[in-house]
Amino acid sequence: MVDAARHPNITVKSYTEVKRVEGFIGNFKVLVEEKPRYVNMDRCNGCGACSPVCPIEIPNEFEEGIAPRKAIYIPHAQAVPLRYVIDEEACIHCYKCVDACGKLDAIDFSQQPRQEWLDVGSILVATGFDNFDPSVIKEYGFGRYANVITAMELERINNSAGPTAGRIMRPSDSKFPNKISFIQCVGSRDERYNLYCSGFCCMYTIKNAVQWKQTYPDADITIFYMDIRTPSKGYEEFYRRAREMGIRFIQGRPSIITEDPKTGNLFIQAEDVGLGRTIELESEMVILSTAAIPRVDTDAMGSVLNISRSPDGFFMEYHPKLRPVDSPTDGVFLCGAAQSPKDIPASVAQGSAAASRAARILNADEWEIEPIVAMVWEDRCISAQGKKCGICATKCPYGAILVETGKAAMVTAAKCHGCGGCVAECPHNAITQKHFTDAQVISQLHALLRHEPEKKVLAFMCHWCSYGGADNAGTSHFEYPASQRGLRVMCSARMDSDFIFEAFRLGAGVVLVSGCHPQDCHYITGQRVGAERFEKLTKRLVDMGISPQRFRVEWISAAEGAKYAQVIREMDQTLRQIDPQALKEEIERTRPELERRVRRLPEIPDVALALELAKATS
Amino acid sequence: MQHTDNTPHSFKDEVMAEPGGELLQRCYSCGTCVSMCLVNQTCPDYNPRRTMRMVMLDMREETFRNPTIWHCSACDLCHPHCPQGIHISDLMRAIKNVALRAGYESPLPSAKVDEHKCSGCDICEKACPYGALSLAAKTIDGKERKISQVDRSLCMACGICAAACPLSAITVEDYSNEKVAAQIQAGHWLKKAKSGDPKVLVFNCSWNLRAEADRDAMSELPANVRVVNVPCSGRIDPTFVLTALQAGVARVLVAGCQPGECHYKQGTRIAQGRMHTLNHMFEQMGMDAQRVQFVQIGTEDRGRLPATILDLVAELKSSTVAVA
Repeated sequence: MVDAARHPNITVKSYTEVKRVEGFIGNFKVLVEEKPRYVNMDRCNGCGACSPVCPIEIPNEFEEGIAPRKAIYIPHAQAVPLRYVIDEEACIHCYKCVDACGKLDAIDFSQQPRQEWLDVGSILVATGFDNFDPSVIKEYGFGRYANVITAMELERINNSAGPTAGRIMRPSDSKFPNKISFIQCVGSRDERYNLYCSGFCCMYTIKNAVQWKQTYPDADITIFYMDIRTPSKGYEEFYRRAREMGIRFIQGRPSIITEDPKTGNLFIQAEDVGLGRTIELESEMVILSTAAIPRVDTDAMGSVLNISRSPDGFFMEYHPKLRPVDSPTDGVFLCGAAQSPKDIPASVAQGSAAASRAARILNADEWEIEPIVAMVWEDRCISAQGKKCGICATKCPYGAILVETGKAAMVTAAKCHGCGGCVAECPHNAITQKHFTDAQVISQLHALLRHEPEKKVLAFMCHWCSYGGADNAGTSHFEYPASQRGLRVMCSARMDSDFIFEAFRLGAGVVLVSGCHPQDCHYITGQRVGAERFEKLTKRLVDMGISPQRFRVEWISAAEGAKYAQVIREMDQTLRQIDPQALKEEIERTRPELERRVRRLPEIPDVALALELAKATS
Repeated sequence: MQHTDNTPHSFKDEVMAEPGGELLQRCYSCGTCVSMCLVNQTCPDYNPRRTMRMVMLDMREETFRNPTIWHCSACDLCHPHCPQGIHISDLMRAIKNVALRAGYESPLPSAKVDEHKCSGCDICEKACPYGALSLAAKTIDGKERKISQVDRSLCMACGICAAACPLSAITVEDYSNEKVAAQIQAGHWLKKAKSGDPKVLVFNCSWNLRAEADRDAMSELPANVRVVNVPCSGRIDPTFVLTALQAGVARVLVAGCQPGECHYKQGTRIAQGRMHTLNHMFEQMGMDAQRVQFVQIGTEDRGRLPATILDLVAELKSSTVAVA
């Protein structure tokens, strides 16, 4: 950190918050607000004369609240920059620090928050993680039993620069605990709290145990675990070393801890799974290895940066295997535990990868994007005619569309990822998506339904998930009926109601719309745009007299080949169970209403031509 | 091709198709349920985790032949602690149901109704936490009568019904009225009651002492304290209390589980009601209402019950107590 602060090309802005981000890859504008620290950065030399005279003492966050800090303080000894800051909420304005500062005259109570816009080429998010609060797990008694502490508290007690100067003592009576236990997976791998594995707790627990055992060879140390996870280089060897040192590993998740009120000792109940029997183990201190959880401000940060979260709450990567460092927004990259819990080597690796990904942008004059972006026909956009609309902008997951009444909607091509949600949602058909134009999709529809449409299962598939699922069904040899006709678009958001009306108008037997599961959507919220539309559409189709079993919505991931095949089989079965004569009658009966629904399609550029060609070749 | 029909193929599938069996495969063998469970204090072979593994490995006959599958009383101490949200007692119920269909029966003792004494008043049916009792028409001594019947597959032998029955028509094998009386009397304890230190009789439920140290402490109490173990505080018939007091016992202490932790779902709540009524009755009779006391011991209350008893003994020693 010191090296970074000294680097001529690096500016460190500490105590500064990102307020707004505008622009796009290579051309971001970032509004930052530097909070007042009431200490002049240029004058303060970090001598520390002010802190001892401050009369205020409050819990020190860095020391996990075990030790106090003053109202004028540095967060920790290695803080960069080494400049003091005044905690305005705690300060009583006695001005003793001002006297102590003397000639340096660094203390300045007149400071105000300072905002500034920065020109930025790319953004790296390295906001880290929070620690799970184990007091919600009542059975472990954290907060009730003095000698149940967290691993982070142990780190501070164990640290020679920490509040106990490295002398290990337990909270209840300041005695040295010789018999200690560690409990793993506290709040991790637990559906009540966090389903995921926090990943690095096994290794830091073994580290703490080994360190302890090296200093105090007589110590009696037990680690309760469910699975010890040692997937990186040298980790398993380290685990073996810990066992050989005499650290006791018990496979079994403790169910309850009780305290002897007289001694403050703790009794842990767990099944030793290897033994197949319940054991009760007395310990003088218990250390909980708590889960790593997303930072509290992840949501706020995500909405500023326009990046989304995975189901576990951490920031979501563009692609879990192929682009693990990129966020869904081009030019924004993720490093370390902000993306998922990580240990130090993995954080360093991802940080380095993110830096090099970001450097590619900084060193490029031009940036290639996918050609499938949205485009507005300005003459068709009602916003240009002075009417209020802006539906397209609300549906865009990337904030790529700017709508000002009086002007046609404007797509920032560099921000558009080509989901097509805006295209399908525009009530005036004023937007199109290159390579997935209405004319192109309608041509495909007509071709697919040219012969015996009433015997076909027409399946709309999104490129990233359900098309992958269909592909997976093929490569895995999961059979499904040949009546299936697939039509690929980029996202379920692109599946326009008009396409479905047109398919039924042409007499399609059954229609499937399929896309990603909500959490897997490649376009952040594209799936949701589609899902909302299909919910309304399902009701509308029934109102129009179309049997409900003829339209189906399914979310199928790229790994769910079996599900894709199953859905198609079921739909084919459904179609076979409908009486052909009744189906024919239903198609005829609903056609006038469907025709009314799609009557404006030919107004869309090229669609009339596509329809004419389709007619000519049929 | 994938399997497309939904008919169960294996023992595991059969259990999972049963209500409550759905989440079986979530189990990752952490053992939380095993160490939370109190059954293995008395039955060390009882291990719900191992039972679930046996089901997952389709060990059908071995599972059924294992008598411990019947022991779960659905106290649900384990369920809130399971990190995978498996409702273990529902799962055990599912296994029991499959076993019952296969013709296996619970080997556990159950309540027994004396058909000649039973009047068909239906009080037991309302008291039973498991719905194991119901009225059925039966010809007794040539007359058709409605009498209470026990469903052996549901009965956990807690004895709540036996204490509730106004005609003493129900008995629970190891804890019949006679056997409880014998426990109290053993070594002519009651006869000695009138002399020496004031006597304390403790009725203790079998499930409220989690800590080994507490169980040890209960057997090391002074001679003027007699501990009588019952399956559940709900087994305590108020008559037991009255008889003991009449025989010269100074204090009766009834110890049950904390509400919500009762091994037999609602036994502790029923006992609380009964003891409360006794307190009230004593008050009206001008007696010391505290001659019978009820305590509810929680799973985290390490050392509380032995301490409570010793406090009571000390209190009696320091004050003169009228003995009826």
